Amino acid sequence: MIEKPKEVIKGAWSLILGMAVTIKAFFSPVVTCQYPRETLRISPRFRGHIKLVEDEETGRPKCIACGVCARSCPSESIKEVEGEKREGEKRKSVTKFILDFTTCSQCGICVEICPTGAITFSADYNLAGFSREDFYFDLVEEFYRWKEKRVESR
Amino acid sequence: MVAEQLIEDIRSSRPGVEVKEVPYEQRGYWFDLSTGPEDIEEVARLFDRHGYYIEDVCCVDFKEYLQLVYHFNHWDDPRRISVRVNLSAEDPVAPSISNVYEGAGWHEREIHEFFGVHFENHPNLSYLFLHEGIDFYPLRKEKVPVPEEKKRLLSSLPVSESDDVFFVNMGPQHPSTHGVLRLILKMNGEYIERAEPVLGYLHRMQEKMAENRTYLKYLPNASRLDYVGAMSYNLCYVRAMERLCGIEVPPRAEYVRVIAVELNRIASHLLWLGTYLLDLGAFTPFLYAFDDREQILDLLEGITGSRLTYCYCRFGGLYNDVDEDFVEGVKAFLKRMWKRFKIYNDLVTGNVIFIHRTRDIGVIPKEVARRYGVTGPNLRASGVSYDLRKAEPYGAYRELGVEVAVGEKGDALDRYLVRLQEMENSLRVIERAIKELPDGPYRTEVKKLKPPEGDVYFAVEGPRGEVGIYIVSDGSTTPYRLKWRSPSFSNLTCFPEISKGVLIADAVSILGSLDLVIPEMDR
Amino acid sequence: MRALRKAFGDDVVKIGFGLVGAGFVALLVLLLLGLLGMKVWKLFAPYGREAIRALVGLVGVLGFVLFNALLLVWAERKVAGHMQRRIGPKEVGPYGLLQSIADSLKLLGKEILTPRFVDRPLYYLAPIIVFIPVLVAFVVIPFDARLQVRDINVGIVLILAFSSLNVIAILLAGWSSVNKYSLIGGIRSVSQNIAYEIPLLLSLLPVILLAGSLSMKEIVEAQSKAWFVFYQPIAFIIYFICAVAETNRTPFDLPEAESELVAGFHTEYSGMRFAMFFLAEFTNVFIVSAIATTFFLGGYKGPVLPGIIWFFIKSYVLVFIIMWFRWTFPRVRFDQLLNFSWKFLIPLALANLIVTGWCLKL
Repeated sequence: MIEKPKEVIKGAWSLILGMAVTIKAFFSPVVTCQYPRETLRISPRFRGHIKLVEDEETGRPKCIACGVCARSCPSESIKEVEGEKREGEKRKSVTKFILDFTTCSQCGICVEICPTGAITFSADYNLAGFSREDFYFDLVEEFYRWKEKRVESR
Repeated sequence: MVAEQLIEDIRSSRPGVEVKEVPYEQRGYWFDLSTGPEDIEEVARLFDRHGYYIEDVCCVDFKEYLQLVYHFNHWDDPRRISVRVNLSAEDPVAPSISNVYEGAGWHEREIHEFFGVHFENHPNLSYLFLHEGIDFYPLRKEKVPVPEEKKRLLSSLPVSESDDVFFVNMGPQHPSTHGVLRLILKMNGEYIERAEPVLGYLHRMQEKMAENRTYLKYLPNASRLDYVGAMSYNLCYVRAMERLCGIEVPPRAEYVRVIAVELNRIASHLLWLGTYLLDLGAFTPFLYAFDDREQILDLLEGITGSRLTYCYCRFGGLYNDVDEDFVEGVKAFLKRMWKRFKIYNDLVTGNVIFIHRTRDIGVIPKEVARRYGVTGPNLRASGVSYDLRKAEPYGAYRELGVEVAVGEKGDALDRYLVRLQEMENSLRVIERAIKELPDGPYRTEVKKLKPPEGDVYFAVEGPRGEVGIYIVSDGSTTPYRLKWRSPSFSNLTCFPEISKGVLIADAVSILGSLDLVIPEMDR
Repeated sequence: MRALRKAFGDDVVKIGFGLVGAGFVALLVLLLLGLLGMKVWKLFAPYGREAIRALVGLVGVLGFVLFNALLLVWAERKVAGHMQRRIGPKEVGPYGLLQSIADSLKLLGKEILTPRFVDRPLYYLAPIIVFIPVLVAFVVIPFDARLQVRDINVGIVLILAFSSLNVIAILLAGWSSVNKYSLIGGIRSVSQNIAYEIPLLLSLLPVILLAGSLSMKEIVEAQSKAWFVFYQPIAFIIYFICAVAETNRTPFDLPEAESELVAGFHTEYSGMRFAMFFLAEFTNVFIVSAIATTFFLGGYKGPVLPGIIWFFIKSYVLVFIIMWFRWTFPRVRFDQLLNFSWKFLIPLALANLIVTGWCLKL
């Protein structure tokens, strides 16, 4: 590149400007978070896997096992929703709610469409397992486990 | 105006063509032409003479007949025109318009392998997405077997006698092709004689999936098409349904949609910036870009809950409302982002090595862009000021307005500068939208989605170009046919033309500057 | 032991370890004998104290080469991390200092694959040859006024002559791995190296003219009043650019460009053989900075601290600048690279030489 001296000087100056940027970054604090020693705050709207919501009066999940969520899931991730009718109550109460999280796409259709508002997203991102069956959650069990321990499941 | 002149010419030269005016608010296009297969080439030539560009070529299987739908649009007179051709179902044959519009060549290959339509005079009618040897046409409503003589292999480039000619595969696994794209390059020494992209490594049959799911259930699929600019696809699908069913959206939802889409656009351009410079060998701008992108993703996570594939826009509004945290966060982000451009300008834009790698590389002239259907920043870098947010405003863009960044020559450096400028313009739009965010409901309740019969086309300006969707509905709860017009597909069609006689290092640079995302290409 | 043999079933490693092991055993024996009272140095009496000095120097240099390579690998990753607003390695050892050792253990344990159709003698020879100029160059570098293995009076000529062996090694590596990409990478590297050796020579000549001698020590001594960088700033810049190009570092790292040709000329080398190329590259980086320090920045001369500390400070500052280049700039395209050398650097260096010669004459 046979260039005139002015272009050479301009080119060299642009390189020096670039180097100034990186050296300034060199002396700046890091922006990474040293997970797992530090963790970041998860926003309350984060879409983890779904969980059942507690009904304050009865202390049981609000779900009435109508099955609308299972019918409207695009990936058919909600496998079985079963409930039983208890004494003196008009609607069923859920006993088994199997979610196959391996196919869930966190679209929120089930949360939206539930007539009693019994499903919501959890903030659980630390999911790891050794086999596919580890992700077949029974949400009723999770609900009671959470109630006992007052911690997020898994 | 251009459209009226065109229709006059068509009426005078081919009187057999029916022309209908169509209400734009319901259909998405202005004129509807129906013609027979013998006239389509002449009609295409008339379109070409009047300066239209090819937007999309689609095929719909109405069981007694097949219908080819061509969409054309014009930069100066942005009124979309649809052309329909009906073909018989047993032996669908149509002349190819790829001699007029080269960009239609790949669309016709796709229709050939999915529907079985044979295009005459097509230079290379071979398989594009599917593997050779598949024995039925996938997108037909019934299982129609492929006749034996039509099962052709992928085109193999003929071996030449010259010593220096050899083939290099920029294979499906390569650090530079953004996704799984295979390029067969016929090299003469260090120079490329011919480049042939091979697609289909990421084909997921999204369009067939749409026919088996209700409109609501298809929502998550839309974002997965282009996961980098997922908000635009989400918005496009939702707005198309709102146009078809005539659903009103409250202004607050429109403004928030605009903010989310523009944030997504900045995130997509930042990712492009990082990976483009990584291809060229500079390792640090990638990390600076991702640092900025993290801020955006955190903001979007605060309202939508997802970081990459959003399912936020719903029919009639949004999934949930935005809160004060989001507004404050956006304002802080804006203040921070304006200062970050200095870093990119110092480190990259003025850098003499970068300029020498991108100046005069991969020039796309305006005529090439028009005939291949190139849209988006690639088109604007060639000097054409065509932005769908200004030409066909939708949503809150009607009130907010947008500034359009235009380049001059159409080389890789111009594409880079246009995208940087677009990021700044997006920041301005977000500023205005946040300031004027109206109060009110964020959603109109839609009890039951009842789409009438008919078809609708809707196009938005995505980060890569024009994202279009064409839905044919037969009144039931599932779409009858859903066709995506993806910008990367149309942008890549011009690559064999502009990469003749360049070095491999330049081919890498051109591919990077076109900003391709393979999942939306392969659908 | 079996695991060691399985991991080390390779000629390069056998020869290398054999030599080093033999050397250490010999030293131990001598030490033992010396402790027992035998006047060991009488063994070397015919050769004089110079021989002992050379031997000790060589062992020291070998040790330094390995230590330096480990240090530079760690430093590169840390520098890269901080320039990219992140921490580099931090888990292995405090501040990740043991990361290089972990990396070398990993490389040692890798399966050493030899592809079937390679040209065997050349394939095995290439990693060895690439290390020779590195070791030879250390013989004449003056670490301090009296810490130089051997002060040859044509020191710099020795270094430059042996650095052309580098070119042969890369060519052998690219040719013998029967692979389109390696060949292209090897050929590119050869033309790049040859193109940038000439301005390298031409930019060192004015300093030699100023100092009046080719011996490295005398050149350092000639800088007692003022460093040569103030007399020859253009030569310093040209030398630095050529040094970066000679060691195949970004922005001139096209032969190893990942995004274009997978890995260039060392694609087909795995495990310990790849480590040899890697080590040679890092040691080369140090050598060119050491030469720059000697020629332009006054070598080991400095006010308060001992000379060797000044030498290391100056050399490592230059090494840091070379790393800084790598993480800032994109890659230069190949024809632009060659154009830059032939059409710009060589005329500039020639002009500088002529002006220097003319000024000296006056």
